[in-house]
Amino acid sequence: MLSKLEIKGTRDTPEIIFDKENNQFEITGDSLPEDTTKFFTPIFEWVSDYLKLPNKSTHLICKLEYFNSSSAKMFYELFFEFQKIAKAGSEIKISWYFEHGDKLIEEKGLEYQSILEIPFELKEL
Amino acid sequence: MNINTTFWFFDRIKEDNLCLLYNGDFSDEITNKLIELSEYNINNIDTLSKMKKKASFLMAECFQNIVRHGESLEGKRYAASDEGFFLTKNWHDIYYITSGNLIENSKIADLERQLEKVNSLDRDELKALYREVLENEEISDKGGAGLGLIEMARKSGQKLEYVFKDFDEHFSFFYNQIILKSNIEEGTENHDYNFEIDSAIDYHQKMVSEDIMVIHKGDFSQDAIFPVLKIIEENLQREKKDALSKKKIYHILVELLQNISHHCLIEENKKEGIFMIGETEEYFVINTGNLISNEKVNDLKEHLDYINGLNKKEIKDFYLSKLRERNVPNNGGSGIGLIDIARRLISPINYSIQKIDDKKSFLSFNVIA
Repeated sequence: MLSKLEIKGTRDTPEIIFDKENNQFEITGDSLPEDTTKFFTPIFEWVSDYLKLPNKSTHLICKLEYFNSSSAKMFYELFFEFQKIAKAGSEIKISWYFEHGDKLIEEKGLEYQSILEIPFELKEL
Repeated sequence: MNINTTFWFFDRIKEDNLCLLYNGDFSDEITNKLIELSEYNINNIDTLSKMKKKASFLMAECFQNIVRHGESLEGKRYAASDEGFFLTKNWHDIYYITSGNLIENSKIADLERQLEKVNSLDRDELKALYREVLENEEISDKGGAGLGLIEMARKSGQKLEYVFKDFDEHFSFFYNQIILKSNIEEGTENHDYNFEIDSAIDYHQKMVSEDIMVIHKGDFSQDAIFPVLKIIEENLQREKKDALSKKKIYHILVELLQNISHHCLIEENKKEGIFMIGETEEYFVINTGNLISNEKVNDLKEHLDYINGLNKKEIKDFYLSKLRERNVPNNGGSGIGLIDIARRLISPINYSIQKIDDKKSFLSFNVIA
């Protein structure tokens, strides 16, 4: 079984919990690392392993408060990877949370919704 | 504040390793961040790191002076610019701490007497006076001096420099400058420095007249810019402007500062730049400036002119196409920062590129959001 990926949040990187066994997938907090590639590389590596044998149904929960434009790109790449699950015949859904009145995060969610081909729901907190 | 303001400051402080100017409110939260930022900066300068404790102590003392003695003009004619001014800068092995706050004209004579008293004493006499004041709290009314001033003189080992500047018929600005040098013994008198308190006052007046809140020149790596971002976030909370524009301005600031860190010319291992944030009635204004290699100028100009030629819908589409591009540049940046900024501005991205010499140019941005 693929071991759990758990990255504690810091002042400029989000908390990541990717747990295949308990079917829990969450990204929470702020994301504005100076070197986004460095932060996201282990996450992509985990996801690429996960894609080899994904759960029947995967639900990714994103509760981001702030992220910079290079993280925006990384999230797109990440969602794009998760999208492959659907192509392989399993279920994938992404829930995007934003605080009431937070137009910036809401707008980013709408953008992802418009360019992805999997269920992507926006939820107001 | 316009696009030329950046170079006005940059040119005056370009020799400094770091320079932080602050014009605004002095809450505990903000003073703590200012100290944190200065400590980070001091730590990064070899000759100064051993003075870190002393510098932090002196800064805290300055802030307390601003808060304790500073007069709030709230409810009076000048509701806005009543807070205080703070400057730290480092040049070679010298560290300057300058503060400014309003004081009632009726209190000037007493403060000046205290300052003169402190400046007239040598090291041992200061120590004796410190003990005397500690043991007898009322002594400051009877010709002694405040503990803060005595400590500032003792810790810096230099005479306290000060200036009273007229503000109006009721108030004056009290400016005070402390100099820390790493290579001299405490108590040695040495006035061989190049930065006059009058220059600090010029900077403050320029900040007040152009509504500039923070100016920071120095290292733009993430550890250095984080405290700056927090100071600004803290200040934004106090603004009456709506939450959306605060988050927007925070976002633009992050993008511009990280852009400096990713694309500036690296000299002596440092990612140097300058940025300033100010406001108008309705909007925030951000200026940034940094040196770039001349080789990058053409591509950058092309990119900016292209973005500036697009309407809002076209910018959004361009952003989305960049988001979906599968080739991420390997310098840590994603190449979409400026596009994302342009989407949020009320006007095109105002920029200028000034050639400095055969190798480098000075790039400045002036954005209003």
